[in-house]
Amino acid sequence: MLHSVERPVASVPRPVLALLIVAFCLQVAWQWQLPKPVARAEALGDPPAPAALRVAALGEPIVLAQMTMLYLQAFDNQPGVSIPYQDLDYARVTAWLGAILELDLIGQYPLLMAAQVYGAVADEAKQRQMCAFVRKQFDRDPDHRWRWLAHCALMAKHRLNDQPLALSYAEAITAKARRASGWARQMRIFILADLGEIEAAKVLLGGLLESGEVTDPKEIHFLSERLKELEAAGKSSPPSGIRQPGS
Amino acid sequence: MNHRITTIARYTLLEALRTRLPLLVVVVLLTLLAASFFVESIAVAEGARFQTGFYAAGARLAGVFIVGIYVLVSITREFNDKGMDVALALDLPRSHYILGKLAGFAALAVLVAIAASLPVAWLAAPQAALQWAASLGLELAIVVALALFCVVTFGQITPAASFVLAFYLLARALTAIRLMSANPIAGAETFSHEAMRFVIEALALVMPALDAWTQTAWLVNGQAPWTVILQLAGQSALYVVLLAAATMFDFHRKNF
Repeated sequence: MLHSVERPVASVPRPVLALLIVAFCLQVAWQWQLPKPVARAEALGDPPAPAALRVAALGEPIVLAQMTMLYLQAFDNQPGVSIPYQDLDYARVTAWLGAILELDLIGQYPLLMAAQVYGAVADEAKQRQMCAFVRKQFDRDPDHRWRWLAHCALMAKHRLNDQPLALSYAEAITAKARRASGWARQMRIFILADLGEIEAAKVLLGGLLESGEVTDPKEIHFLSERLKELEAAGKSSPPSGIRQPGS
Repeated sequence: MNHRITTIARYTLLEALRTRLPLLVVVVLLTLLAASFFVESIAVAEGARFQTGFYAAGARLAGVFIVGIYVLVSITREFNDKGMDVALALDLPRSHYILGKLAGFAALAVLVAIAASLPVAWLAAPQAALQWAASLGLELAIVVALALFCVVTFGQITPAASFVLAFYLLARALTAIRLMSANPIAGAETFSHEAMRFVIEALALVMPALDAWTQTAWLVNGQAPWTVILQLAGQSALYVVLLAAATMFDFHRKNF
C-alpha cells in the first residue's frame, strides 16, 4: 500500500509542473471560447416510449419524471417567451407531457405547464392543443386535475372566445370532479347564462341552491343574488359571475 | 526516453490482451448485438433505427465501463503486488512510467472502440460509423486517462471508481444541467441560484461535455460534419494531456 506521507511540490520536475499549468490554462481557455449551450426548439425530439422510460427510471419513476420535466422546461425557458414557444412542436411537447404523467400520475407539474405556460402562447391552435391535452388527462383523475381544466375553461371563454368549448369543459368538471371547489363546479351555470341559455342557467342555479350542496352562507347569498338577476332577465349581468376561491 | 515509454506501453497492452479482457469485450458486444436484434423484432416501426440506437448506446456505456474498471484494477494490482516498486527501482523516471502506462491503456481503448464499431459499420452508413468509432476511441481515451489519474491519486479502487463514475455521469449531463440553470422560471435572482450557476459554469470550464461525443444521432439521423470530429479530437487530446500532467504531478509526490 502507498505511504500516506507525500513529497513536497518542489520534488515534481519543472517540465511536469509547467505542462500541468499550461494544459489547465488551455483547457479553461478552450471551454471559455466555446459558445454557451442554447436549447434550440427544433432539437426537442420525440420522447421515449413510457415503457422505456420506466426501465430507465431504475425504480424511481417519480424522480425521472421530475428531471424530465426540468429538461423539457429548458427548451422554452429562455429570454423572450414568445419566440421559443412558437417554434416548439406542440405535438412533441404534449407527447413529452403525457410521458411524464405516465411516470408520475400524482404530479401536477406537467398539467400546470400545459395550462399556464404552454397554453399562454398567442397562437390559438396551440392553445387549443394544450386545452385538448388537459381535457384528455382530466378524465384520468378528475378529482385532482380539475383546476387545470377550469383554467382551460376560462381560457376558452376569454381568449379563444369559444363559449361552447368552455361550457363543455365546465360541464365535465361538474359531472366528474366531485371534489372540485364550488366555484369550479358552478362555472357551467354562468357560462350558460352568458350563452343566452337563461332558462337552463336558472334551472341549474336553482337546483344547486335547493340541493344543499352549497353550505357557505356568503356563497349562498352570492348565488341567490345571481339567480335573482337571471330571473329579472334584464340581461345586463356582468360576463362570467364566477367567484374565485376566497372572494 | 521514447524507448522506455514505448516498452512500458507495449507490455501494458500485452498484459491486457493476455488476460480475459478480450474475451469479456467480445462476449459483452455479442450480447448487446443479440439484444439489439430482440429490440428490433419487438419494435412496431423503425426497427433498424431502434436496433442501431440501442446497440450504439449500449456499446458506448459498456466500453466506458470495461476500460475504466480495467485501468483501475490493473494499477491497483501493481500497487499491491509491488510491481510498481520494482519498476521504479530501475533507472526509470516516474513520468515515463505514467506516459507509458497511459499510451498502453489508450491503445487498448482504441482496440475496444474498433471492436465495438464493427457491428455499427454493418448497421449504419460507413462514414457515420467511422465518425462514431473515432469519437468512441477519443472518449475512451479520456476515460482511461481519468481512471489512471484517479487510481494514482486515491490509491484504492473504491474511491477511484466512484470518482470516475460520478465524473462521467456529470460530464454526460453537464450541458443539460447548464441549460436548466441558465434561465429558471422562478428564483433566478436568488443568491442560492446564482451561487449554483457559478459552480456549474466553473465546472463546465474544466470538464469536457461528453454528451457531444459518440452521438447515436450521427448513426440514425445523419453523419456529423467532419469539423465536429476534428474539434472533438482537439478537445480530447487537450484533456488527455491535462489529465496526464495531473497524474504525473501526483505520482511524483508519492512516497513508496
